[in-house]
Amino acid sequence: MAECLSIPEDVRHAVDSVTPGADIRILAFSDLSPDGAFGEQFLALADERILIFDCNGQVPELRTNLPLSRISRVEIETLVGGAALRAIIDGHRVDLMSFSHAMSDTFGRVRIQLDALIEGKPLPQVEERIKRCPTCGLVLGEYTRVCPRCLQKGATLRRILGYTKPYRGRLFLIGSLVLAGTAAGLVPPLLQRWLADRVLVPRANYHLLIWLVLGLALSNIVHTSMEIWRNRVTAWLGARISFDIRAQLYERLQWLSMRYYDHHPTGTIISRLSQDSGGIQELLAFALPFVVTNIITIFAVGMVLVALDWKLALISMVPAPFLILISRRLWFLLRRAWHNYWYRWRRFHGLVSDALGRVKVTKAFSQQQSEIGRYFYRNDDLRSAAAFADQTSGTYFPFMWLVVGSGSLLVYYFGGLFQMQGGLTIGDIWAFLAYLHMVQFPLNFLGQSVQWVSRALTAAERVFEVLDAESDSEKARGEIVLENIKGEIEYRDVGFGYEKHQQVLKDISFKVKPGQMLGLVGKSGAGKSTIINLLCRFYDSDEGEIFVDGVPLREVSLWSYRGKLGVVLQEPFLFSGSITENIAYGKPDATPEEIMAAAKIANAHDFIIGKPDGYDEQVGERGNRLSGGEKQRVCIARAILHDPAILILDEATASVDLETEQQIQEAIARLIKGRTTFAIAHRLSTLRNAHKLIVLDEGRIVESGTHDELKMKKGVYAKLLDIHRRTSMIGAVNG
Amino acid sequence: MDKRQRLQEASSLDLRYLDPEEVRVWRGEDDRVYCTVADELTVLTPMFIRSHPLSDLNRYLSIRGVEHKKRSIAMGREFGLLRNWHRLGPESRELVEVELERRYLHPKVRAILSVKDYSGVQVCIFETDRGIREVTLRDVRDNVIYLGRSRILITDAEGNRYDIEDSARLDPESQSRLARIL
Repeated sequence: MAECLSIPEDVRHAVDSVTPGADIRILAFSDLSPDGAFGEQFLALADERILIFDCNGQVPELRTNLPLSRISRVEIETLVGGAALRAIIDGHRVDLMSFSHAMSDTFGRVRIQLDALIEGKPLPQVEERIKRCPTCGLVLGEYTRVCPRCLQKGATLRRILGYTKPYRGRLFLIGSLVLAGTAAGLVPPLLQRWLADRVLVPRANYHLLIWLVLGLALSNIVHTSMEIWRNRVTAWLGARISFDIRAQLYERLQWLSMRYYDHHPTGTIISRLSQDSGGIQELLAFALPFVVTNIITIFAVGMVLVALDWKLALISMVPAPFLILISRRLWFLLRRAWHNYWYRWRRFHGLVSDALGRVKVTKAFSQQQSEIGRYFYRNDDLRSAAAFADQTSGTYFPFMWLVVGSGSLLVYYFGGLFQMQGGLTIGDIWAFLAYLHMVQFPLNFLGQSVQWVSRALTAAERVFEVLDAESDSEKARGEIVLENIKGEIEYRDVGFGYEKHQQVLKDISFKVKPGQMLGLVGKSGAGKSTIINLLCRFYDSDEGEIFVDGVPLREVSLWSYRGKLGVVLQEPFLFSGSITENIAYGKPDATPEEIMAAAKIANAHDFIIGKPDGYDEQVGERGNRLSGGEKQRVCIARAILHDPAILILDEATASVDLETEQQIQEAIARLIKGRTTFAIAHRLSTLRNAHKLIVLDEGRIVESGTHDELKMKKGVYAKLLDIHRRTSMIGAVNG
Repeated sequence: MDKRQRLQEASSLDLRYLDPEEVRVWRGEDDRVYCTVADELTVLTPMFIRSHPLSDLNRYLSIRGVEHKKRSIAMGREFGLLRNWHRLGPESRELVEVELERRYLHPKVRAILSVKDYSGVQVCIFETDRGIREVTLRDVRDNVIYLGRSRILITDAEGNRYDIEDSARLDPESQSRLARIL
């Protein structure tokens, strides 16, 4: 570890001044000075001493020099806005250094490392979450490593364009339509030039007038047709590629490892699937075609203008840089005004929905006047933001066209001058003005499109981040397929932590014979659900091994294994659809009779038949049209139909009344018959019939045996039983 | 009921308001801080917690013990509340002030020196009462609390909070930059 640390030179010098040449095994910088101001201190562990230097002077100044041997442990005290690292010396707490929230991960790592060394263990390697961009130091968003400042836009764009490969024909068509459309767009000013010079000025050539007007009409029709065609093909391609990416993304989400879901809240993932993938569509369907078409138009018009008269072309382009700069600034102001308005609108909406949602409470407490006052304040806030946004827009656009028009003024003046000198015709000037008009819009909006493309590329990169994450399917390849699982499970010295530095399970060993029921008991956070998570192989153990029928679980094919697992969870999860579809979820080809048989065993048949649509009853989103007990029994029926060799019951009767619990208990008793069952229950009475109970505390097995054995032992289990009995009595009194 | 019982009883049911004159905070020979409450009880390394850290910094200071957990320490039980801790004796006041300064990292923004935008992420430089700090803001509108018309609390991308006590009193440039941020 020490070899891996990169030590800045001034740190090396400072440490050498105390312990020359000593290895620096731990190094961490704080962002606060000893007096609590923003500044810098660092902690270095060298030569088994904690050295703390204050870096706010010219040279780091030694503040603390503490032998590790004097410290019994270290701890972190959470403060408001930051925290402090403390050492316990002879039972006394000594402040080592304070730091802000920005450094909390770093000092979490330091605490673990120091504690390990104090306990005489080797220095642990603790992974720190990457919170800042390794290249530029910008703070990254939560759950992403995409840095908007360092994003390699070219590489991301190439990757997006990679999705266009299957649609090369259409891409080629879009390119051709852009060129043809631009070319068609260049024709009308040339025709106008002839019209002025050969028809209007000489007042002659009636036939030519007809042809020129027809030509103008034709070129306009061709130009517009090309544009419509291009827009339609581009929209199709954008939607198609977005569809492909969303499909790939959703497929990936199904196979992503549980660790990924632990570190990414559902809201973030949904946002990747909807908003970010929408960003790619916006990029392909609108932003990129807009930028490419406008750049081509600017170049093509520029060339034609130079061909017409290069001097006037240069003069007419003089305002262009100013136009771009002014447009950027004004756009920025406009965008800010509208964002501000939308934000106020959101707050206003929030206040109204909040107030109307609690109208009964407002009336009960006679708070109508204060509610009206709050509303007035927010309404006034919205009024001023709306007025500002509209006034800004009302000022921006006329002013912008004034600036844009300045190019035309130059053409009028210098073009007129050149015309008087005989160098240009009226037609030339007219064509010039028409061409200028064509580039004014692209010049005005091109500055904005850079930011538009940038945002879309950042969104795309966030999508790619999900696509590149580790998935279950990678773990599941080329492994042993268990055709008939008997259900013998053995945990041998298993250790595990969701975060590598925080062990949740330690030295877990037990064996369950086929068909036996194992009850897991312990306080919240003791590790019960983690044992289940490892059995489901949502995670692989960090230490030791789990065996299924004598085969190490990590060598078993995930598909064959999970097909033999059945799960009934505390929160029964149903999806929107009929009761039949929900029961048959794990066995889609089940016959109606099999489904009804499973429902009967699960004590669900009678309530299902009692529904107006029977087995075809729609359960609603997340099954919200059924009661908690009904949902639970549908889930049990699903597990029965699935016919698993290994069954997991996680607090299956926690949230139902006593009568329903009895029905569920009956159903469960039928379900577990002949299956290896792992059960977690807070109501310890439900585990009375388990063949074996394991009592967990802080991730270790503290007791094991049958209900009667553990009761006699008068240990942790007996204590839990007692608490449970007393809580039931309080419940009965309150009930 | 003796004093100790009274103290115990008070901590479990009623709020106990302490007279500043009956509270003494002092540093022992072992360099640790002690707090003696009404000559009834001496608390080792007491915690001083503000009841209203945003709206009123000086009133209702809770004096508490420390609860030792396996890997950290937490707030222990309350021994009483001081209506205004500034009325403590000089030595006590000084020690409480040091402790509050340590506990509350609550920088107050005096000026906004710059704002740069990177695709929705804003990197700002704030001048605060604790020094100058580069701050990264993300989804800033979701991380702003408005207290009254002109007080604004901004939480940065790393969870640190910055207090603009009166946005109307910032210099014009800072106000313009604040408008850009919000």
